[in-house]
Amino acid sequence: MSESDLGRKWDRCLADAVVKIGTGFGLGVVFSLTFFKRRMWPLAFGSGMGLGMAYSNCQHDFQAPYLLHGKYVKEQEQ
Amino acid sequence: MVARVWSLMRFLIKGSVAGGAVYLVYDQELLGPSDKSEAALRRAEEVVPPAMYQFSQYVRKQTGLQIPQLPAPPKINFTLRESWNSGIIKVMSALSVAPTMALEYSKEGWEYVKERTK
Repeated sequence: MSESDLGRKWDRCLADAVVKIGTGFGLGVVFSLTFFKRRMWPLAFGSGMGLGMAYSNCQHDFQAPYLLHGKYVKEQEQ
Repeated sequence: MVARVWSLMRFLIKGSVAGGAVYLVYDQELLGPSDKSEAALRRAEEVVPPAMYQFSQYVRKQTGLQIPQLPAPPKINFTLRESWNSGIIKVMSALSVAPTMALEYSKEGWEYVKERTK
C-alpha cells in the first residue's frame, strides 16, 4: 500500500466513522423521543452501534489491501 | 373512546416518524459500506451550504433580520505525516553520524587542549 493509498483509506475511515456515529446518534434521538420516554440509553446504543460498524468497516478496509474502491463521479451533462 | 383514539393516533404518528427516519437511513445507504457513506457526506456537503444560505435569505425577507454568515473555516495546511517523517529522518541521520562526529569533535578538542598547554 502506497502512502497516498494509506492516506485515502484513513480519510475514508474517518468520514465513514463520522457518518455512522452521527446516523446512530440521530436514530437514537428519534427513538428516544418517540418510544423510550426521552431516556439516554437509545442515544448511547445508537452511537455505539455506529462506532462499531465504522470500526469494522475500517478493519476490513485495512486488512484487504488489494480490494479496489470505486469513486462516485457526477454525471456530466452532454 | 376519545382517549383511545387519541393514544392510537399518537402511536401512529410516532411510528411513522420513527419509520420515516429508518427508511431515510436505508434509502441514503448511510449505514452501508464506507464508499456509500463517503458519497452521502459529499452530497450533504454540496447541498447544505446553499440550503443554509437560502434559509437565511428567506428569514431576512420575512423578518428583516439578517443571519450573519459564518466565516469560512480556516484552511490549516499542517501535514502531520510530513513533519513526523522528516523528524524521524533527522533523528536517524543524526544517530548514524554520531560516532564519526564524536570522534572528530574529540580530536579537535584534543588539538585545542594541546595547543593551549604548549
